[in-house]
Amino acid sequence: MDAYFVLKKQNEDINIDSNYASQSFWKEVRHRFFHKKSAVVGLIFIILIVFFAIVGPGMTEYDYSTQELTQKNFAPRVPGLENLGILDGTETLSTTTGSKEINQYEAGGHDDLYYWFGSDMYGRDLWTRCWSGARVSLIIAVAAALIDMIIGMSYGLISGFFGGAVDMVMQRLLEIWNGIPRLVIVTLLLLILRPGMITIIFALMLTEWVGMSRIARAEMLKLKEQEFVLASRTLGAGSFFIIFKEVLPNIIGPIITQVMFSIPTAIFTEAFLSFVGLGIPVPQCSLGSLISDGYDSFTTHPYQIIPPIIIMALLMLSFNLLGDGLREAFDPKMKEM
Amino acid sequence: MADVILNVKNLDISFKTSAGMVHAIRGIDFDLERGETVAIVGESGSGKSVTMKAAMGILAKNAVVNSGQIDFTYTNEDGELGTVDILEKDKKWLRKHINGKRIAMVFQDPMTSLDPTMNIGKQLVEGILLHTKLSKDLAYMKAVSLLKEVGIEDAEKRMKQYPHQLSGGMRQRVVIAIALSCDPNLLICDEPTTALDVTIQAKIIELIKKVQKERGISVIYITHDLGVVAKVADYVNVMYAGKIIEKGLTNEVFYDPKHPYTWGLLSAMPDLETDDDRLYTIPGSPPNLLHEVKGDAFSPRNRFALEIDDIEEPPMFQITKNHFAATWLLDPRAPKVEMPTELRERLDRMKKEASKYDSEL
Amino acid sequence: MKKYILKRVLTSILTLLAIVLVLFILMHLMPGSPFNDEKLSDDQRTVLYAKYGLDQPIVIQFGRYVVNMLRGDFGVSYNISKNTPISQLIQSRLPISINIGFFAVALGAIVGLILGLIAALKRDTVLDTICTIISVIGVSVPSYVFALALSYNLGFKWKVFPMLYNTADALNSSIMPSVALSMFTMATIARFTRSEMIEVLGSEYMLFAESKGLTSSQIIIKHALRNALIPIITVLAPLVVDLMTGSLVVEKIFAIPGVGSLLVNAIQSNDYNVVIALSFIYSALYIFVMLVVDILYGIIDPRIRLGKEGD
Repeated sequence: MDAYFVLKKQNEDINIDSNYASQSFWKEVRHRFFHKKSAVVGLIFIILIVFFAIVGPGMTEYDYSTQELTQKNFAPRVPGLENLGILDGTETLSTTTGSKEINQYEAGGHDDLYYWFGSDMYGRDLWTRCWSGARVSLIIAVAAALIDMIIGMSYGLISGFFGGAVDMVMQRLLEIWNGIPRLVIVTLLLLILRPGMITIIFALMLTEWVGMSRIARAEMLKLKEQEFVLASRTLGAGSFFIIFKEVLPNIIGPIITQVMFSIPTAIFTEAFLSFVGLGIPVPQCSLGSLISDGYDSFTTHPYQIIPPIIIMALLMLSFNLLGDGLREAFDPKMKEM
Repeated sequence: MADVILNVKNLDISFKTSAGMVHAIRGIDFDLERGETVAIVGESGSGKSVTMKAAMGILAKNAVVNSGQIDFTYTNEDGELGTVDILEKDKKWLRKHINGKRIAMVFQDPMTSLDPTMNIGKQLVEGILLHTKLSKDLAYMKAVSLLKEVGIEDAEKRMKQYPHQLSGGMRQRVVIAIALSCDPNLLICDEPTTALDVTIQAKIIELIKKVQKERGISVIYITHDLGVVAKVADYVNVMYAGKIIEKGLTNEVFYDPKHPYTWGLLSAMPDLETDDDRLYTIPGSPPNLLHEVKGDAFSPRNRFALEIDDIEEPPMFQITKNHFAATWLLDPRAPKVEMPTELRERLDRMKKEASKYDSEL
Repeated sequence: MKKYILKRVLTSILTLLAIVLVLFILMHLMPGSPFNDEKLSDDQRTVLYAKYGLDQPIVIQFGRYVVNMLRGDFGVSYNISKNTPISQLIQSRLPISINIGFFAVALGAIVGLILGLIAALKRDTVLDTICTIISVIGVSVPSYVFALALSYNLGFKWKVFPMLYNTADALNSSIMPSVALSMFTMATIARFTRSEMIEVLGSEYMLFAESKGLTSSQIIIKHALRNALIPIITVLAPLVVDLMTGSLVVEKIFAIPGVGSLLVNAIQSNDYNVVIALSFIYSALYIFVMLVVDILYGIIDPRIRLGKEGD
């Protein structure tokens, strides 16, 4: 025992921070993110939907636009499952004389045909249309969110960094812009421009950047006074260098989170536009236009509206869950003690 | 012993967190006599605030008290002296009999400890009405006189104002007035000056000293600022990683510290006359209490660590009647290690200045 | 406070003017509008120009346009209901939409507050999880999906409520649309209330109030609720926009004769005059709601009402 009563050989720079230093920022973020089950579930669903949006349309022999008018309004029929009595192509039709069960496949002698999600009122395969619709919706949403990010971020960062009169003017302009309802901006814009994917992305871009710019500005105001920015400034770095090289990497967390939240908003707005007739022109389709089409016959053939609604709801839900998870992962308010 | 009003025995507290159990308080003993001032000193995260929140019965929901006792002695409504173990009482009883009425607390940041949407007057009267049988008008008058007592001018006007309309120092005075509003026996000040400007810090400390003298109450200071301690405290407890590692009379701990951690704290005090480069500072950060500590928790940061520190926890060694320290350096088997000479010189100089100051008074 | 209100009123007026300016420009650009309809004869054109003052300098034209808009003179409809003054078209429809919208906000706000408070007070329990799931679904699923689900089940299958709006039975007909519309408001407010409440509950003044001897319920009623609820007013204004968007589709689904379905009709039949008039009304409504909310916020929150010392 006595042998232990000697000075430990600790050198001048004792390296103590081992218990904290080993945890890098990104490692912690990853750890917290994967710790949150709902966020992981959201991520998995997004990956699945993206996967099907890419390969789904190619999995059948149909394409999204070919009409087969002899095969319209077929109920879903899936090989394998049909033997279990579900999704076997039968549907119940309510008519004035009461409801009856029919199977279009048997009635028309199409025993070899399988429409996994059924077919629509023009005899187009809904599986193919749903996934190519999901593809269109995703492209629009992601493109819009990314453009928003760039515009909003630049606006917010510049406004926050320069402060003073620049900030004043930029914020007043923003207030005025924000005072116009999104609905009005989008409808007016689509009235003068031809409906189409680019127009919709443009409309979404015009309306969604405000939220992003607010976040970027708030973060900038927080970081501006910090020492590394001051240090960079004293070293003679230019404003734009500081904004985009010094500050930007430090606010990437809240920005990514905001992008995750603006994607579902974009999906929703696109669906809304399709529903009021300002969406993607036919025969192209998006989730919104599929829902809009399905709506026309949803009391007689409800199966037509269900797949696009479920895909859209899942997609929006998943992005929200993912956004929530990311927000908590980037900004843990661990007030646990 | 009759005059001990607060006695903490073997207090041991953990927190349930998402990462696991954090063993924040690992066995604490100390006591406080009537009219006395005790300071608890340590870095953030050492468990000072948690200890005091336990004494107030306002621990967070995820806290688990593993063992210990906090005995509080007070004169009850019938004029009898009694002792209760605060940890055994439920929240409802504590709110009614202890909080605000017999033990009051002043928090660190006056910017955040007042309700921003309620005016000063209401926040003051609220507590008075809760614990006394005064009518609303009398409670109001008492509130005004309290504001005057803590040195706020235009007290009547201030009653109608909201926290954001007052300066930081003024707010802390209001917080102190609220704490004093029901004539408590014990005032706990959790870093009462940390969030304030240096010039105001001194005034707030003077104020606390003044009311303590006038009212004869006991005060516990939680702080990491040793400068404050020297000015106000009779006793000092130095905490590290959920344990008290050195305690004693203020003069003893200040001018003859025995624990290397206390050396570090004293060296880190800003001072005009010492050359900063030659001062001993404490490298690194406190241990993560998520993992159980083996041996002396301070060992990895201690330049004077012994091999034994990593094997067994040091016991409390008694140095004088009141002065204790938990370091193996005090063991007779240990090699003789003195505090760094720079610190020695500095403490001697401070001592001389202090005695000069005292004799001038 | 006066300065604050003045500033808000000024911004509102500026915003409204900006919108009118945009509409004015659109009016001149759009094909088929009265100003550049190629089918007009020269005489007709002269009459029209005189009527709208198109022979005057552009600034005066704009001034007249602003005055007309503010007076509610939006011109006539072209396609939906030929030559009917638009103000007349809107008059009967606006109250229906406002009623349903108001009911939806009230319902959403009350249910959302309750859900959010339960979730925050019972944090990390099953109740919290349930409330969180409800609110996540509420923000994720568009209101018209709810509308379709309600319409199919309660309206078509079980016939509890009328599937289509019936003016004779306005109250019963309004229930399903209002519920469908309120879902997003409800979910947003629930989420916001939860996070605000959790933040307030963790604040130091709660601890200080507790240390004064207030019981948990006293702290929540006296201090937490007020502090958590004040910021919630601020999300109400943006929610109105979402409500407007939602109402377009919901009104279409339930065939409600409101301004939302009128706008959809107008868009689909290229009735520019109606679209522009409704755009103005929507904007004016929104700006008004924002102004009211901001002033209300200023009155309730002493930090804005009283400003800093010496201000």
